[in-house]
Amino acid sequence: MRTNRIWPYFLLAAWILLLAASPFLANNYLMKIATYIAMFAAIAMSWNFIGGYAGYPSFATAAFVGLGSYSGAILQNAGLPMFLAWGAAAVIVVVFSASIGLIILRMKGHYFAIGSIALVDIGSHTASSWSSLTGGGEGLNVKIMQGGPELVGMIFLYTMLAIMLLAFITTVIVDRSKLGFGLRCIQQNEDAADMLGINVMLYKNIAFILSSVFCGIIGAAYASWVAYISPLDSFSILLTLKAAVMVLLGGAGTVFGPIVGSAALVIFEETIWSRFLSLHQGILGLVIVLLIFFLPNGLLKVDWSKLWAKKNG
Amino acid sequence: MKPLSQTARKIASVIVLSASLLGSNAMLSAQTIKIGTPLALTGGLADEGKKQVIAYDMWLNRVNSSGGINVGGKKMKVELVRYDYETNAQRAQQLAEKLIVEDKVDFLLAPFGSGHTKVVAGVAERYGVPVVATSASSESIFDQGYKNLFGVLAPNKGSITNLLALVSKNLPQIKTVAILGREDVFPKAVAGTMNALASKAGYKVQSIEYYSVGALDLSTPISKIKSIKPDWIFITGYSKDLILARKQMADLAVTAPVVTMITGPVYREFIDALGAQAENVTSTTWWHHSALLKGDDPWGSTKAFYDEFVGKEKQDPDYVHAASAAALVALQKAIEKAKTTDKAKVREALASLDIKTFYGPIKFGPNGMNTAIEGLPIIQVQDGQPLPIFPAEVSKGGLKQFK
Amino acid sequence: MLDQIILNGLMLGAIYACIAVGFSLVWGVLNVINMLHGGFIILGGYLTFFSWLHFGIHPFVSLFPVAMLLFGLGYVLQRTLINQVVSKPVLTTLTLTFGLEMILYNTMNLLFTATPRRVALDMGVLNLGDMLLPYDRVASMVLALSLTGLLFLTMRKSKIGRAIVAVRMDKDAASLMGINVPQIYAITFGIGAFMAGACGAIVAVIFPISTSLTGVFLGKAFVICVIGGLGTVPGALVGGLALGLIESITGFWFGPQNAILIGFVLMLVLLVVRPTGLLGRKGYE
Repeated sequence: MRTNRIWPYFLLAAWILLLAASPFLANNYLMKIATYIAMFAAIAMSWNFIGGYAGYPSFATAAFVGLGSYSGAILQNAGLPMFLAWGAAAVIVVVFSASIGLIILRMKGHYFAIGSIALVDIGSHTASSWSSLTGGGEGLNVKIMQGGPELVGMIFLYTMLAIMLLAFITTVIVDRSKLGFGLRCIQQNEDAADMLGINVMLYKNIAFILSSVFCGIIGAAYASWVAYISPLDSFSILLTLKAAVMVLLGGAGTVFGPIVGSAALVIFEETIWSRFLSLHQGILGLVIVLLIFFLPNGLLKVDWSKLWAKKNG
Repeated sequence: MKPLSQTARKIASVIVLSASLLGSNAMLSAQTIKIGTPLALTGGLADEGKKQVIAYDMWLNRVNSSGGINVGGKKMKVELVRYDYETNAQRAQQLAEKLIVEDKVDFLLAPFGSGHTKVVAGVAERYGVPVVATSASSESIFDQGYKNLFGVLAPNKGSITNLLALVSKNLPQIKTVAILGREDVFPKAVAGTMNALASKAGYKVQSIEYYSVGALDLSTPISKIKSIKPDWIFITGYSKDLILARKQMADLAVTAPVVTMITGPVYREFIDALGAQAENVTSTTWWHHSALLKGDDPWGSTKAFYDEFVGKEKQDPDYVHAASAAALVALQKAIEKAKTTDKAKVREALASLDIKTFYGPIKFGPNGMNTAIEGLPIIQVQDGQPLPIFPAEVSKGGLKQFK
Repeated sequence: MLDQIILNGLMLGAIYACIAVGFSLVWGVLNVINMLHGGFIILGGYLTFFSWLHFGIHPFVSLFPVAMLLFGLGYVLQRTLINQVVSKPVLTTLTLTFGLEMILYNTMNLLFTATPRRVALDMGVLNLGDMLLPYDRVASMVLALSLTGLLFLTMRKSKIGRAIVAVRMDKDAASLMGINVPQIYAITFGIGAFMAGACGAIVAVIFPISTSLTGVFLGKAFVICVIGGLGTVPGALVGGLALGLIESITGFWFGPQNAILIGFVLMLVLLVVRPTGLLGRKGYE
């Protein structure tokens, strides 16, 4: 079974190379889209650890990205070189998710979902009231990176691609390891998994931490990219919802699902948003509704051969 | 073989699909001037975005029906390229680059949101594309040293200074102020400016508090203000917040001789939503339609702009409409002055612009803000209308005490 | 002054309870987090506003018809779409209602625009000693409490109500007893929409309505359900009153910018310590 799965990896490599080559093949805007695709792929893969494998619907993704943005921005403004600030932001986010995880992972299902949403709102309101540290409602300027648009664009494209690759490798490792197996068991039946001897609390925590670390770096990198962040935009529940939709679209709990789903959604959004000025939100909503009904398990889990057979036979 | 070929096929088709869908939009017309206008058509600022659209279209019609903008002797028509930035910073950033790289706009107008203006300016600066902001009046928006960002609204300081002077002159017994601001870029900036300038002018600021975005109830801070009994209540926020604040002031029987709200009372929806309760609330604005200004622009005078607007929309224009059109006028005049659409030369022309328009004088200072406007109007709602009471040239009434 | 603050908190709390009760019911009985709830409230508000603006109908009069319209909308939506996914995981139903909410938002934005609207009626203020009670808030509080009470009685006494409770407790057993579960689901969802619509009508006098408020109302509903407990009407009432009091009092002690933050922190703490909420029974996993 394993050896047959080489092809998808080659295709993924080709996809990543295509994205990486965008500065040379296409204009700066397409390079930006490629950067967003990589960014969302990494965020979707992060969500996949806790939402796809473990089956815990977490909305905390936005909290991790926001925390990463603010940590990175504050540290960078305090004088830390950009890449170090990103690394430090990741550490801060991991410490946060590890400690919060101990608390909220004791809840299940709906309650866990609500708890994770609370984190996002708490993040946004804390950023808003702690003005002395975060600039409050006025937002925070980040040191502007020097360089023309191509250079800056390339730096962030390759940053996001690197994070995407890291997230992918981590996903593959997790998928094939005892951790992945354990998480799937937990999703099926947590009590049974516990009885099987799986250290449920530990595994869930690891999944939660994994779902946070890449988001933290992305948040910090994004802050440096845009040079200005504010509470509402940094902690947006919509971001997590999009990540979940991307994973659902591609296929939850699979290795390639998040990548396929994120690429599909970004490209799809890109085409409707610019062409339907006043209807794009409704159209996206319609797509989501259709997705739930016709592709409940995602693009990758559809039995294409059966559909093809039906059409022909 | 089956599972993998499904996956493989899926991934392959995504690659093909993406290549075809994102194929470059072949852009024609080297003969039009393209101006990118990111608009809030959905999201929190959708109401304000709508106002910009009306004003932009008015300007576009006038300019294009007279043949276009005069670029060194040749007339070139204008095309406004618009997208919805969803009141979202990430979209604003994406949109700025799309407009510049794909739509190949020559110039940009900023989105309505203050923070989003900064994000767009950040992208435009790298490409050297001039951006004119229609609704940015806080110094903090212009504090990143961007050379390509300009804003037609006068800085908050000017309004507040005039307001303080007016109150001091007409109601010298006013000595104490209580300030309540929204924790958001523009309202917070205004509250802070009031705090600083009022103290300097000799008033005692008894309290200054901020309420969070999304607050559905302001009764607690308003109750506190009631117990302080200030002479002057000063509240900042967006229309929804101010409507709520005024309502709750009435609920709690809180009054003071002077009640100022920025910027709600200048908008029709504030007065409609409050009815009689809107009476005698004061506010500052960047322009009032009864001004008697004349200028070198597609309308030529405030009255002409006012008449056209009322004819179309059947209601009075507010400063958002005027400033939006003015931003386009500033670009137009800079292009005419530079005699070219070359971005760097137009930027220079903007930086050295010194013109009079139906909206007021426009002259950008070193940080890009319009420092030319002096007599920023102060209005007070009287008989259900936002009446200008300052400066003398436009004044239609005197400052009344709030009841 | 503290007594006025507490009174303000209670009046606010009654409105909050009204906002949350429909949401809590749907969540508790159908196990569905209805992301459309905020949209329903705003829709109710807009319908009330426009019937006042164009026909002069007082909001308290249009309340019932508007709420019935919303009931119809909710019933149809549930029967046709949401019922298909009721047994699916949380995320699926949430995403579906989220998609529907985007469609509703877009439609309202196009039809009504985002301009803030309020039914500009000034009903005056009641003086009780040195405390002030604005009549519209009192009326809203009375309405909210009455509707909540009515709902409570319906759940307890009427046949439909008993059926809903039965389905909530054990849907398979209820089905075996002859209860048409999908019908009950649709009715419950409809009732949730009804309460949202009624809330919108009440709220249109107190707050300026705008499409950008859908998220804010939904967020409040979440917090209240967690604080008070899911699926029970008294729970939503207690949760709403508690949140109203908390926001008012913490705003007083710690400054208004922290009031909402503390509400969320409290919600988180409660989730951990007592996930079933102050009044809830063992909720859904």
